[in-house]
Amino acid sequence: MRYATIIKSEFRHFVRSPFKVISLVLFIGASIYGLQSGYDLYNKYNKELATISEADKETAQKGLDLYDKKEEGGRADMTQPMWALYYTPSTAVKRPSPLMPFSIGQTQEYGYYMKVTEWSNAFDQDLSEELANPEHIAFGTLDFSFVVLYLMPVLIIILLFNIGGLEKDLGFQKLVEINSMSSSQWLMARFTFYVLLLLLALLLVMLPYAMLTDSLKGNLSGFFTIYLYILVYALIWFVAFYFINLKGKGSSNQALKMVSLWLLVCVVLPGAVHQVASLKYPANYMTEYLDASRDETYDIWYLPQDSIRLKLLELHPELQERTPQNDTIQDSLKIEYPDSPLVNHLMKTTSATVENKLEEKNQFIKSTYIVNPIGFFQNRLNALTSSDYYAYKQFRENIQNFIDKKVYFRLIDTWNQKTVTKERYREYLKAFNTL
Amino acid sequence: MITIILNEWKALFRNKILLLLSLLFLIGLSIVSWLGIVQNQEQQLQQQAAHEHVRAQWESIDAMNPHGAAHYGSYAFKPITLLSSIDEGVNAVTGNVLRLEGHVQNEMAYSEASQSLSISKFGKLKPALLLQFVIPLLLIFLSFASITSEKELGRLKLLVFQGSSVSRLIFAKSLSVWFYGILLLFITLLFQVLINLNNITPDTWSRTGFIFLGYTLYYLIIATLTTYLSARFKSNTAALTSMLAIWILWTIFLPSIWGNTTSILNPLPTKQQFKTAMKEDRSKGLDGHNPSDKRTEELETKILAQYKVDSLSQLPINFDGLLMQADEDYGNQVWDKHFGRNYSILQKQKQLYQLSGVFNPFASLQNISMGYSGSDMLHHHDFLRQAEDYRRYLIKTLNDKHTYGGSKTGDWNWEAGKDFYLSIKDFDYEMPLTNTISGRYLIDLVFLFLWATVIILVISFTSKKINLL
Repeated sequence: MRYATIIKSEFRHFVRSPFKVISLVLFIGASIYGLQSGYDLYNKYNKELATISEADKETAQKGLDLYDKKEEGGRADMTQPMWALYYTPSTAVKRPSPLMPFSIGQTQEYGYYMKVTEWSNAFDQDLSEELANPEHIAFGTLDFSFVVLYLMPVLIIILLFNIGGLEKDLGFQKLVEINSMSSSQWLMARFTFYVLLLLLALLLVMLPYAMLTDSLKGNLSGFFTIYLYILVYALIWFVAFYFINLKGKGSSNQALKMVSLWLLVCVVLPGAVHQVASLKYPANYMTEYLDASRDETYDIWYLPQDSIRLKLLELHPELQERTPQNDTIQDSLKIEYPDSPLVNHLMKTTSATVENKLEEKNQFIKSTYIVNPIGFFQNRLNALTSSDYYAYKQFRENIQNFIDKKVYFRLIDTWNQKTVTKERYREYLKAFNTL
Repeated sequence: MITIILNEWKALFRNKILLLLSLLFLIGLSIVSWLGIVQNQEQQLQQQAAHEHVRAQWESIDAMNPHGAAHYGSYAFKPITLLSSIDEGVNAVTGNVLRLEGHVQNEMAYSEASQSLSISKFGKLKPALLLQFVIPLLLIFLSFASITSEKELGRLKLLVFQGSSVSRLIFAKSLSVWFYGILLLFITLLFQVLINLNNITPDTWSRTGFIFLGYTLYYLIIATLTTYLSARFKSNTAALTSMLAIWILWTIFLPSIWGNTTSILNPLPTKQQFKTAMKEDRSKGLDGHNPSDKRTEELETKILAQYKVDSLSQLPINFDGLLMQADEDYGNQVWDKHFGRNYSILQKQKQLYQLSGVFNPFASLQNISMGYSGSDMLHHHDFLRQAEDYRRYLIKTLNDKHTYGGSKTGDWNWEAGKDFYLSIKDFDYEMPLTNTISGRYLIDLVFLFLWATVIILVISFTSKKINLL
């Protein structure tokens, strides 16, 4: 028999197996469910961010109106940097990737927006995640990546467990070898049909969601990279199952081996790596960070004015040229809390230490990919959809960038005894993306 | 029936591959249990160290203004329960640290899951992972061919002619596999008990007992259902694939899909809505007609009248302390309203999830396993409630000191001494006793009993119609 003929006859075998057809339909249903979950989350986050952006714009307009005296500002003097910055909305946001429907990754573990003040820091409790049922997060959300990484191998098992096995069960394996090519090629041809069927089905369910989020226009390479990873992942399973079937002794025997392999690769090995990682790097109670945000911050607050001045000049040597003579630091800054740049520096240093510690655990996790391939594929998909640890680390860096700007604007403009005009206020707004 | 069970066991023990596999599995289970306990102990040490560190900082306060101390605040670190070494439930995804301070009820932060890349969707390799996923599969593998192979060899008819009924045969074969599952379960729990012998309280025994009961019932459901399907179908393949499909549906599809459905049916507010609503209630008043300025005026008038003086400076107490406590009391009502509403929504979601036990016994098992291990959402809420009670005690004590400790209104430099700060008791989380929580999981146990009963009844009443060939 020719290769193409075997593929054609496999199609007939498939459509005559209601159990397999139902399984494929269920799998497609689960895929659509997963994609829709991701798409809903993508829309929910965008909607929430739009509401926040609207509120920020209102605050900004209120600030602008204060300059035109259209609004009553009370004790707010917008010519002072402190008040002008108070009316400068500065919400750091992490926009969801248009590829989010393909993997929501660790999205539910983190917050995705934060209203930044000069006293904020990147590990603030304000950054806690969106409200959600922890049990549902612990059980795992049925998103598309879950369907692909965990359920697709199960579907492949259902599609393949009796390929070659049925012939062995019924004892006409030899007949196959006489009538067609070698049993390995015969098996390969039959497998090819399922590879094509599955990859086509996945592409067809993925495409509408890529169109809905405009990924095909804006992030075509990202979309196809995701598809490529899925393809490689599926092929790995097909190859593993090919060898099981080639050496198998019948349908039940093959099913047993396939399910055991699935259990080992998808449940036991990731679980074992997770356990070892937790043993080696227990959950961090962030005491260094807590100490810095409390005791060490208090130490700065209690510093004498002269020490604060010296430390500020050390931290920002550019202020040296402009140090007003014969003024106390309080006079020169004309505001309360001249210590926020020092606290910000302290928190930045501490955050860096915490990040380094967390990175050690990540390096360990990466080093285990060889025994935990699911972890590799999961994190690759998460990275492509900007929903992995590093995407949120990047978000923390953006938050820090906002804090730095806010602190620096106040420091430099106060130090220079600058009167904040409407134009300068617009510059503030622009710096925080509100205009 | 006992003869059939004994024969099945003899056959199992004669199978050297199965014996070897069982031995390896037992060794694996023991290692997993041991690692779970070690990891638990390590985490407990970390939690204890963090707790002691924060308490030592508190006790090192020599002198501080009480309101300053309220801002200085404290932290509650979520403790690790002894049985979470079996099932860690939601612990990895909820935060570990809760800041306790004046003016605000904070949310938990810094979950373990947020501290690294993703590793595993099914959690750590703790005994629960093996007991919930692997052992049921093992039981399926042991029983899917138990009757079909008898049919294929033509022995089923022979056995029936010799006087054994099909239902008795199904029960006997189910029980023999079930006992095997119980043996593995028993050894796992025994291992836990032996290693933790010094720390086990009577309450831990009863919790372990319920965990044992839950798994025992679930294994009975798996063993009887698989054997029944083995009797109903003609081939091993059909029996195996059907049972695998059921297993996948129960353990993978339904928990996620039904969990998501409960969230859709009882939606939580977004964090933004939640915070905005609390902020509004704080400033405008719970009824929208009692803004904070007005409340302050009313309190001032009342206190001046009570002490029969004309101005705050004439008061023998510090009015600022009273005002702050009144604000706390009001804030507490606001927190209770909004956090309470969230907890209530989450409870409804949980109850609805528990109802899925009607069509998914695995959901009931999950609830029992993490519930009695003290690591489910309800225990998490219990921790949050106790931590919040402590926060209220702490802030009230500080505000009372500010009010009645000897300072006058407006005196923000007045400081309380070390003895006062030492006298404030430490936060100590007390895990609820089994008898107080068992009602929460009664429905799960009932569903498991019902499932087992229904399957037994189905076997009893329908096995006569089973084709013997």
